[in-house]
Amino acid sequence: MSLFTRNALIALVLAGTIIGTVIYAVTYLNNARIAELGAIEDQLSIETLSLDTQFSLLEAAPCDSATSSATLTGELSDLGDRLAYAEGQLGKDNEQVVRLKKQYSLLEIRDYLITKKLAAACGTKPVTVLYFYSNTGDCADCDRAGYALSYLHTTYPNLRVYSFDYTLDLGALKTLIAVAKVNGPLPAFVVNGKHSYGFTSLEDLEKQFPKGALATSTTAMR
Amino acid sequence: MIALIMAWGSDVYLYPFLFIALYFESFFLVTFLSKPARMRRTDTPAPLAEDAPPVAIVVPCWNEETTVAGTVESLLALEYPQEKLAIILVNDGSTDGTRAAMDRFSGHPQITIIHKENGGKFTAMNIGIEQARDARFIGFLDADSFVAPDSLREIVASFDGPDTAAVTASMSIHEPHTIFQRMQYAEYSLAITLRHVFASVNGLYVTPGPFSFYRRSIFAELGVFRHAHLAEDMEMAMRIQRAGLTIGNAIRARVYTKGPPSLRTLLKQRVRWTTGFLRNVCFDYRDLIGNRKNQVLGFFILPFAIAAMGGGIFLFFYSIVKFTERSLHTLSLLQTVPLSYMFSWHPFSWFYLPITGVALLGVVSMTSALVWMTVGKRLSKTPGTLAPNVVLFFLLYGIIAPIWLIRSVSDVVRGTHTAWR
Repeated sequence: MSLFTRNALIALVLAGTIIGTVIYAVTYLNNARIAELGAIEDQLSIETLSLDTQFSLLEAAPCDSATSSATLTGELSDLGDRLAYAEGQLGKDNEQVVRLKKQYSLLEIRDYLITKKLAAACGTKPVTVLYFYSNTGDCADCDRAGYALSYLHTTYPNLRVYSFDYTLDLGALKTLIAVAKVNGPLPAFVVNGKHSYGFTSLEDLEKQFPKGALATSTTAMR
Repeated sequence: MIALIMAWGSDVYLYPFLFIALYFESFFLVTFLSKPARMRRTDTPAPLAEDAPPVAIVVPCWNEETTVAGTVESLLALEYPQEKLAIILVNDGSTDGTRAAMDRFSGHPQITIIHKENGGKFTAMNIGIEQARDARFIGFLDADSFVAPDSLREIVASFDGPDTAAVTASMSIHEPHTIFQRMQYAEYSLAITLRHVFASVNGLYVTPGPFSFYRRSIFAELGVFRHAHLAEDMEMAMRIQRAGLTIGNAIRARVYTKGPPSLRTLLKQRVRWTTGFLRNVCFDYRDLIGNRKNQVLGFFILPFAIAAMGGGIFLFFYSIVKFTERSLHTLSLLQTVPLSYMFSWHPFSWFYLPITGVALLGVVSMTSALVWMTVGKRLSKTPGTLAPNVVLFFLLYGIIAPIWLIRSVSDVVRGTHTAWR
């Protein structure tokens, strides 16, 4: 075997080993991401169930308990950011991503329902936004709308934003879409029951909110 | 910040190019560690024998009034028996003060001065060859370059067999000042290692103008220099390879040259080199590609060099498209939410580390280039600082090189010929 042939073969093995190592490292990292998402979801699932149970146990006087002030929206929002990043890394068709998105959507729906129940029982007026998007390429403005809502949520922590992938094959989500009567073009927003479709600008989106609803955390505490 | 990272996704289309680059780097590493290369860099040249071979050095000049004196003085300082070293200065019809600058050395026993009508660099080199009748080895040195005192001894020692038709030196940029010269300093450091490694398996396809030497007999066997699309050094190297002879490299033979200081002059030089390469390889010497006699050159180096040019151009356009696409996307997001939100800093989380296959392979490639630059500088004992120049290399090369590649391919396709300067 000539020196060239020998070196060319060794180089092939070496290049293959390096690429294999890189693929292993990236896969390991992605699996760690998925595991972290799963762990966060499990934790949130327990907390949601706990909240739900507390609410049921204290049904007679729910507003006197700690449940009235409990909120999972912060954690949900962080989980949503991480899930969106993982989806960007692994692809929207990745089985684990789809599974986690379904779990996440269920958590959101449960939190939304608890929020509504608490509001009805305690007479509070939380501002809730149901946001429906699609990332299958048929919603040009969804990305911008998502950023706008993230910004609004960061700026106004009391705002409760629930994002849903409209195309996700999940029974509970389909029911929510039917109950909420979302049937227009995406992105779609349901702000405290009021529907709006499409996204033009942050200012236009803000107009959809009830007057005085967008208070900063500082103002809200007064 | 997370919002910004999420707006910029990953690119999977780069994998084929990264694999080819990685394979090349792997081959390079294995060849660097192979016995022939090891021996070449560890062997210390034997002390110059009393019967040192007669050597002639030809300096073709065209409008080099400011640099030719320094070039000649460095040649006169070479550690080589004076009676065995002839220096031939050929003024190729300069229109500036080169004649006067050269004539300062008239009367020196080692120096012959020839003034001729302008006919192109190769004609000046050929007149030098005619003049160097007594030399066993003939070297050439561009009149904007100068050499280290021990470089000739290293070169002569590297003519270690009858098949060694030519020997190249280790070039570096002398006192780089502009950002483009600094970028070239890093590039030349890398090229020193490349030349060393490929010479160990006879894979060189160019014997550069600064201080390449030839066995005089090969001019009789293979002919003298030709116009060769203004790449006479490349054409001669390919002629040597076609004849089945060997081109060596003396890694410790240092020669310093002045790199083009501006973008315009750099592009002009590189377009000349690249069009010369393409015209010689793709037309005049296309039989070298796939040549079984020299598999390293025929199956690896030349095909890779052509693939690298194609890849460089593709990646350039791909990057422009991607950059534009993502910039427009980011711009649309910036028009949607306040700037402060896009760039707001979130607590660090490993979760958002943008570690992708492309990023890791890119880091491997860049690290590899950095290591080879350092190796080249150290093995050749080239003076100067590498660190800041490497940064400029990584920042600029990927942007500038595609420009001369695109221009060169365009010139070759359209049949456009450029002037020397």
